[in-house]
Amino acid sequence: MLHIANLHVSVADQTILDGLDLDVPSGEVHAIMGPNGSGKTTLSNVLSGRDGYHITGTVTFDGVDLLPLTPEDRASAGVFLAFQHPVEIPGVGNMYFLRTAVNSVRAHRGLPELGAGEFLGVAKEHMARLAMDPAFLSRSVNAGFSGGEKKRNEILQMSLLEPRLAILDETDSGLDIDALRVVAQGIERLRSPDRSMLIITHHTQLLDDVRPDRVHVLQGGRIVRSGGPELAHELEAAGYENLPSEVSV
Amino acid sequence: MNVALATSEIPTGRDELWRYTPVDEIRARIERSVNASHIGPVSVTRPLIDALTGTNRPRLVFVNGFHAADLSDLADLPAGVRCGISDPLHADDTDDADDPVVADVALVAIAEGVRLDAPIHVVHVAVPDPLTEHCVLSLPRTVIEVGEAAHLVVVETYCGLDGSMLPTLSNTSTTIRLGDRARLAHYRVQTESTTATHVGHTRIEQGADSVFQMTSVTLGGDIARNAVEVHLDAAGSRTELAGISMTSGSQRHDTVVTVDHAASQCSSSQRFAGVVDDHGRGSFNGEIIVRPGTTATDAHQSSRNIVLDANAEADARPWLRILADDVRCTHGATVGRLDDEALHYLRSRGIALPQARAMLIDAFVRDITDAIPHDSVRSHVAALVGAAAAAPIPVEPHR
Repeated sequence: MLHIANLHVSVADQTILDGLDLDVPSGEVHAIMGPNGSGKTTLSNVLSGRDGYHITGTVTFDGVDLLPLTPEDRASAGVFLAFQHPVEIPGVGNMYFLRTAVNSVRAHRGLPELGAGEFLGVAKEHMARLAMDPAFLSRSVNAGFSGGEKKRNEILQMSLLEPRLAILDETDSGLDIDALRVVAQGIERLRSPDRSMLIITHHTQLLDDVRPDRVHVLQGGRIVRSGGPELAHELEAAGYENLPSEVSV
Repeated sequence: MNVALATSEIPTGRDELWRYTPVDEIRARIERSVNASHIGPVSVTRPLIDALTGTNRPRLVFVNGFHAADLSDLADLPAGVRCGISDPLHADDTDDADDPVVADVALVAIAEGVRLDAPIHVVHVAVPDPLTEHCVLSLPRTVIEVGEAAHLVVVETYCGLDGSMLPTLSNTSTTIRLGDRARLAHYRVQTESTTATHVGHTRIEQGADSVFQMTSVTLGGDIARNAVEVHLDAAGSRTELAGISMTSGSQRHDTVVTVDHAASQCSSSQRFAGVVDDHGRGSFNGEIIVRPGTTATDAHQSSRNIVLDANAEADARPWLRILADDVRCTHGATVGRLDDEALHYLRSRGIALPQARAMLIDAFVRDITDAIPHDSVRSHVAALVGAAAAAPIPVEPHR
């Protein structure tokens, strides 16, 4: 489904991703772990279509070249990024934002628009599962939300938009144990044979709840090691520094 | 051309309050203009006014400064409310009787102690002359008088014919007087055509313990100036000014505010938001004067601006003349860009760039639209602002 080959990304002559190769087949959940500064967030930014990067290499999604697509076209094609730092947008109502997003993507998929009432029902259903107060709908997007509330709002968007590829950028960071569990359950619920996920994380805790099919280690801008879910725990025990540098993709 | 300028205040020399206004260009346009005739163009019909301003009643309609009784609707005005053309007692100019009549004076007056919650609409339409194609100069004049302890809501609308390519020039004058303990919510909505020149001036005189609240929305005009001058001459009065200006194309909007604290225990606030796009220019020139001998003055001013295009320009200039000691005064001016991260966030959720951009522009002025307490006015303004925010993007940014 997602195929990345020889991806080089730089900003102002500084190389961040240096020949990254990655394949995430349909229905699989892959985790990417790596030390600070290894390029994890750059990878998610590049996949979501953030501008400002110099990019060479190949990124295809279902055989379609993703790189020339606008962020909105990627979203419509089914790519979703749960942001590490969800943006606060005072003045844009969360309900209006969510409905506009859902209807934009629905229009792209040839589905009819959801009316305000209809959408409200759907949104409340999804929010209940994430233990979110419906009052969040009437607030501005992420404005004044706590860290945990922002991350839940990301998972809410993901569940409403029903992407085919979800990239979760440190969705677990800054969450307390209860919030982590709710978020993990939200992610696990969305696991499906026709949805792939790429979980970018520092910690193994989330990976205990959302067990990945593969774990990759990103270091120095490329994948230096890949393995099964046990690799996460090996990393936790040994640290990145002491990780045997064998490459086994 | 033979042009009469009864309400002109356009300076000939250097004047700080005209710092950002293209005075020479306005004067040149006046030279090329002819005075509007009191025989209104037949093209302006009731359905057209409805389409331009909504079907709100009561309304007092003027075409090129002249009262259009057939377009107005003043049925069911409550007792104590006068709405019509000013009689000589209310006319505040001292024109000689020999001078040509250049405009009727719109008068809205509410008697002492009377309270009216429903907005009264004063509509001034600028209509070009398709026969001669000369720029039509009109001098719309409005007088609003709020009696002691009376409450009133007035919506002043300046509009033109959509899509008209012919020029008009409106030199408007509004005089507002509030009695002691009176309260006026005043809206000034300007949506003239993009070939129009609009030079507007509003003067407010407040009685003791009176409250004046104004929201101005400036969207139209090629060159448009919105000058507001508040005189706090009696103790305990409060004035709250807010405004939105949005330019696109090569529009130029100037907002010029003077709040003159000449009495003690008065408070004033100014909250203005400017959006400039394409080759547009917007300026905010805000003056606060606190006269010697006054005490317990509270004066605040903020001007926030966003520049959406590299070719657009915004200027903000606070100008404080504090001549007393017992003053609490704050001011702030910002000029920024649309938040790239917020734009990317919206787009990453499938929202196309033009809509994402419109959502953020709308959000930028939302605190001002949301604060409008009158439902019908708020939804009207929100729709106007939303449509202006969704105007086509001049040059698509990267990707």
